[in-house]
Amino acid sequence: MSGQGGADQGYRILSIMIAGLLAYGTLGWLLDRWLGTAWFLPIGLIVGVALGIYLVVVKFGRSQ
Amino acid sequence: MVPLLIPMEGDEHGWPPGVHSFDSRPLFPALGPEWGWLNNHLIQAIIGAAVVIGFWLWMARGQQVVPGRKQFLGESLYNLLRNSIARDILGHDFRKFLPYLVALFSFILVNNLFGQLFLFMFPTFSKIGYAYGLAILSYIVYNAAGIAKYGFGSYMRRMTLPEGVPVALWPLIIPLEFLSNFIVRPVTLAMRLFGNLFAGHLVIMVFVVGGSMLLTMTEPTAGFPVPLLNTAGVVSLLFSLAIFALEILVAILQAYIFTVLTAQYISSAIAEEH
Repeated sequence: MSGQGGADQGYRILSIMIAGLLAYGTLGWLLDRWLGTAWFLPIGLIVGVALGIYLVVVKFGRSQ
Repeated sequence: MVPLLIPMEGDEHGWPPGVHSFDSRPLFPALGPEWGWLNNHLIQAIIGAAVVIGFWLWMARGQQVVPGRKQFLGESLYNLLRNSIARDILGHDFRKFLPYLVALFSFILVNNLFGQLFLFMFPTFSKIGYAYGLAILSYIVYNAAGIAKYGFGSYMRRMTLPEGVPVALWPLIIPLEFLSNFIVRPVTLAMRLFGNLFAGHLVIMVFVVGGSMLLTMTEPTAGFPVPLLNTAGVVSLLFSLAIFALEILVAILQAYIFTVLTAQYISSAIAEEH
């Protein structure tokens, strides 16, 4: 896995971060629509980013 | 800018270039709309495939122990892909996937360079459908490789559950990993290729079409005198050459990145436990 530098790893991390935002942002948005509230979407986005960062640390933080 | 652009809407030069500049034209309009799928960009992609197949067949013919000039060129190209992409990323399993990776790289590269080639002047993958097609193909390849190696159940477990996550977080992490590995990955793979080529081609069109239009102006427009407009046209055309050079770099880089990421995804699908 050497030689390619960080580009491919960077793209994988990017996809995790996008997935976090998408998954929990969508969940929050759906809850908002369903319950008629307005605060699930921001919470979902924050939770998504937090989980994404956590997952990146778990997957890529150990090898060093 | 706005007063400069509006009088030229619908100009015979096709100014301003936009999404409509990427529309395909049917090859035989006389045959009617049911033959509309047979358009110039499809033919271009098929020619690209034929060029790639022809090139590698030609390179593979008449191989000798002591390589001649042609064989040396072919082997250098092949070794570059084999060693710097396939073997580095995939490790000892790389032979199985090498033909796909070589074909992928050469097909994308040829189609990207069509954007700089005067015969076509259009990068095939700036039509997003073609980029999606390639991403779907890579998606099938890396998932099939993983399923073939681990079986469906344990492959899904590996792809949705990274090691080292406590059980309490599983319900939160599993949907995230699933989305990241099975949806975001292939979509971003296609988007990256499409976006780079679409934007690059659009910028080239703005400079070339706009420059030649400014150069051929014969009456003052928007309060600017004719010599100033013509000078701006010359500068714009000269600058478009620099962008052409940049686009050649982008064409090579994007073919490389697409191939590297496909190899990377295959490698993460078949990776050993560690």
